[in-house]
Amino acid sequence: MEKLHFNYAATEKIAHPVHIGVVASGDLEVIMKPTTNSESTLDIVTGSDGFKEVWGNVLTRFFDRYPLLADFEINDFGATPGVVNLRLTQAMEALKNE
Amino acid sequence: MSEARNWATHREAKAEKLSSVASLLNGKLAKTSDAKAILENLIAPGDKVVLEGDNQKQASFLSKVLASVDPARVHDLHMIMSSISRPEHLDIFEDGIASKMDFSFAGPQSTRVSQMIADGSLQVGDIHTYLELYARMFVDLIPNVVLVAADKVDRDGNLYTGNNTEETPVIVESAAFHDGIVIVQANEIVDKVPRVDIPADWVDVVIPADEPYQLEPLFTRDPQNITELQILMGMMAIRGIYEKHNVQSVNHGVGFNTAAIELLLPTYGEQLGLKGKIVPNWEVNPTPTLIPAIESGWVQSIHSFGGEVGMEQYIAARPDIFFVGPDGSMRSNRAFGQMAGQYALDMFVGSTLQIDQYGNSSTVTNGRLSGFGGAPNMGSNPTGRRHSTPAWQSLRPDNDPLGKGQKLVVQMVETFGSNKRPVFVDSLDAVEVRKEAKLQNVPIMIYSEDTTHIVTEEGIAYLYKTSSMAERQAAIEAIAGVTPVGLRSNPAQVADLRARGIVAFPEDLGVNRNQATRSLLAAQNMEDLVKWSKGLYNPPAKFRSWS
Amino acid sequence: MSNSFVELHARQRALALLDQGTTRELIGPFDNMISPHLEPQNIVPEADDGIVIMKGQLDGKDSVIIAIEGAFQGGGIGEVSGAKIVSALEHVLADNEAGHTEYPIIILDTGGVRLQEANYGLLSISEIHNMVIALKQYVPVIGLVPGRVGSFGGMSITNALLSYVIGTDKARIGLNGPEVIEQEAGVKEWDASDKNLIWNTLGTKQRQATGIIDEVVDDDVKAFRTAISAAINENKDSHRDQRGDFYLSLLDQLDPAKPLDIEGYDKLFKAVEVKEHHLAAAVSGSKPGTKSRGRNWFELLTGIKKAQSDVPTVLQAQAGGRQYIAIVPDENNRFPRVRHGEVGLQEGYTVASVVNDLIKADADKPADQKTPIVIVVDVPSQAYGYKEELIGIHMSLASAASAYARARQAGHKVVSFIPGDAVSGGFLAQGLQSNRLVALDDLDITIQAMSKASSARITQRTIAELEEATKHVPAMAYDIENYQKLGSLYNLIKGVKGYDSSDEAVKTVKKALDEAFKSLEGVKPDLSFRYTNDIAVEGVAGGRKATNKVRALMDAQWNK
Repeated sequence: MEKLHFNYAATEKIAHPVHIGVVASGDLEVIMKPTTNSESTLDIVTGSDGFKEVWGNVLTRFFDRYPLLADFEINDFGATPGVVNLRLTQAMEALKNE
Repeated sequence: MSEARNWATHREAKAEKLSSVASLLNGKLAKTSDAKAILENLIAPGDKVVLEGDNQKQASFLSKVLASVDPARVHDLHMIMSSISRPEHLDIFEDGIASKMDFSFAGPQSTRVSQMIADGSLQVGDIHTYLELYARMFVDLIPNVVLVAADKVDRDGNLYTGNNTEETPVIVESAAFHDGIVIVQANEIVDKVPRVDIPADWVDVVIPADEPYQLEPLFTRDPQNITELQILMGMMAIRGIYEKHNVQSVNHGVGFNTAAIELLLPTYGEQLGLKGKIVPNWEVNPTPTLIPAIESGWVQSIHSFGGEVGMEQYIAARPDIFFVGPDGSMRSNRAFGQMAGQYALDMFVGSTLQIDQYGNSSTVTNGRLSGFGGAPNMGSNPTGRRHSTPAWQSLRPDNDPLGKGQKLVVQMVETFGSNKRPVFVDSLDAVEVRKEAKLQNVPIMIYSEDTTHIVTEEGIAYLYKTSSMAERQAAIEAIAGVTPVGLRSNPAQVADLRARGIVAFPEDLGVNRNQATRSLLAAQNMEDLVKWSKGLYNPPAKFRSWS
Repeated sequence: MSNSFVELHARQRALALLDQGTTRELIGPFDNMISPHLEPQNIVPEADDGIVIMKGQLDGKDSVIIAIEGAFQGGGIGEVSGAKIVSALEHVLADNEAGHTEYPIIILDTGGVRLQEANYGLLSISEIHNMVIALKQYVPVIGLVPGRVGSFGGMSITNALLSYVIGTDKARIGLNGPEVIEQEAGVKEWDASDKNLIWNTLGTKQRQATGIIDEVVDDDVKAFRTAISAAINENKDSHRDQRGDFYLSLLDQLDPAKPLDIEGYDKLFKAVEVKEHHLAAAVSGSKPGTKSRGRNWFELLTGIKKAQSDVPTVLQAQAGGRQYIAIVPDENNRFPRVRHGEVGLQEGYTVASVVNDLIKADADKPADQKTPIVIVVDVPSQAYGYKEELIGIHMSLASAASAYARARQAGHKVVSFIPGDAVSGGFLAQGLQSNRLVALDDLDITIQAMSKASSARITQRTIAELEEATKHVPAMAYDIENYQKLGSLYNLIKGVKGYDSSDEAVKTVKKALDEAFKSLEGVKPDLSFRYTNDIAVEGVAGGRKATNKVRALMDAQWNK
């Protein structure tokens, strides 16, 4: 298990919290909470050690496309970058659909 | 003139060998307990020996007996094997019984194969595709002895190989008509075989086995394990490839990606109105995940390389679809299947472990020399092809008056494997493995030039549309996610490739990511497949997950 | 394109069952109520700790769904997840007591105790048992076992306590998983790789045929909704925890020395001639029974020397106005799997019969005059065996737990005295339903949810890694002194060991028991002491801090 922390500059405020996913094998949960900070913070607990750089790459791409301003909590049980991206995108879509 | 040459030395040698075991035979039938003595008498040092065994069916009794022979009597054999699957396939090299190997595939034993090549205990002639290896049995690897497996054998020696006929006919033919010796292990001796798959006069010795030959349900994929990303990729493939190119005939490799497609046809495919329009004809093993598509009328024909454990009754009840003998059981044939896969198909869809920045792919990863099997036959463009189909024509370049179509060769991969290692790499591990194993060629499964499409969770790269290697690389980068290869892509170039239809993202194909859920699968678990089959499919116990 | 219920995760299941627009989740993923025990063991937590509590209406009736997420840590119950369930059930009970009818529905998808929070899991599950039994006086408590995990371990004891249980054919129900039985009793007892045997034995098809589950429906959301509504409207209750006479009669007619297959069992099940079973008090015999700490203290406290009983593994007697009950080893018992004192089929049902007889005998007495009960706890585990699972040992344990809980709720003061081991399902049946736990400060006592070998196998760690974890997490430890740090014990008696028998030792223990019973005068007959005492609340080295945090949060959110 490893704990990771990231900050990203972001602009789009979210109005209410969102939760998506389950901490199942190969999967993760993503929580976004509205924040008063000026940038997004991400606290990640991951079961796979040694992938900080890959996380950074996935998140950089996500924030390039969707600069959501929120506090993120992520609990990851060995998801691939593809699954991480899918869940982040779903959380984003859950916000848009409301 | 000197003495007249003896033109029948092979025949005489065979007759002499067989006479040495005459006392152990009743007609062609031997006793199980005499198996070792028979092999020690019939196999000579240095003989070329074919031992039947592919990725599913293994002549496991004869391989165990061969590993038990006296190396002082039987040694330095040149083994010819489709698949190195069982431990004793390699034990015989450590014991000196065999010294050289020509093979095609080394799935379960791939790590040990690499080690034995490196330490010199295994000398490799070459690594082949199935079809190449069969072809060489008629040219420069003509066997002295072949060891094969049959389900049922009658007292005359007629063989019934049934659902799992696979490669038995091609192996037996290579020996039977060139004075090689054909030795058969039998699951069962019967008065009358259900049908004759191999006639008795091609067979020399039949030995009842102590237990049925090993048979793996290799093509069974439990729908329970299909992921949302695989569903998303399957939706993209159906829209962006099957529908777009009007694909009529297809081979699916083994894997969850293609299982997802099979289970999306009756649901997502139906929604798109594609039923009756795409993929009626299949060259594929009878994978259980095809049952819903068959039952809902998507499939007109399936020819198979081999059988699949548990599918026997279902196949027997669907003779319009499968190749079934008058006795009611399926006949498979690996050699004909490979031939069909190479020449008669619009499309091959497979998966792989690594793809390099140019689009070459390999399943060889560090320390594992897994060989090729049949995928390169299917996953290549046969330049000898002359007939045309709409899908084939759809890939024809429009700037060449002598241009012709091309087979669709599709690789489907998630950008990172389940081990979280990138699938897209700058250089394949296979390059290093070539050096370690002292191979002539880098063991590439499918070359870039043959690969027409790559599908990832990010999108589809239409490689056949690229006009330069640089453009091909850019298209691959665009769908390679955050792998080292993918990180090189730049947004402006991606936009241009998308505009020109060289790269498509889900939104470009009208594929809704939110629709990619497991509820879209026609069957979500093994029990659903059994229900679709109206109880005719009988899954092996290891797949049991309901009461 | 089916509307599968099994495919859904816990939150989706709760939402799918309740009427649209009526739902409200309590202590959800935004409330930051994460298990404090997982990260220190390098395990990724989940924001809701694998439990979804959802209030809403089902077909217009106020309902509360408690859904266990089987995909997170196998649906295991730890401190936070357990406290969420218990506090939700408490509020449902309070609402019903106040005349507001509200239906609890529990979705079981669980392996039982979360082994990484072992003793918290056991405590929580016993508290769930208590609440289910209390609630059944007002409303049916409906259980769903959709699969894929099914229900195992202590939560299968919960399952057996529920009024009416509905499942699909994707679920299995048992106490000990086949892997654990293989580990504990050998591959000959149960080959855990034989999937056909597993599904034919534990699958709901067989379970429905032999009374372990009430209804098996298609894997479809609507089918579940319909079945639940029918169960509520018809007030269904299968009284699975009160079938002792049936099963004790069945066991009389069974030869445990012979193998028993499914077909043989089905035949036996149908042919049972039910007779009433009552266990007479133990009497002094001529030969000493198999030595154990439980027997030692039963004999010392009742004054019955060389106690012998018609059921050799269960000793009961009244002395000094108190009812004593012990489960003891019997080296030649006809059931091989209980010879070391394990709680087996016969033990659970027999204990239940003793307690049920007592409840009946004292039914007309006012609460303060009902006979107090001393549970003498020395149970190395529940019985691990194929026959035990085929017949449904979890129901036997449930009947014992149920009897003790009903006795306590009726006013009997119940104190558990722990001179020996207190492990797993055995402890849930024989000890954890008491309002006071009194133990000897003896480091030979093992108190846990599973043996080290099995726990290591199930959590995919080495025994060395497991032992490392026990050093840092009191709930993972196997000894009584660490157990005390959870706040669970009323009293840890110093200076007396399990095999002591001196007059001084007996005096000390009797005094401790007297004091424990005295402390129960005038207090509510519930299990709250365990998390309200100082050690539990302050939680310096464990305690029940998270439990109390969950409870406060639930109080705040219940009626918004």
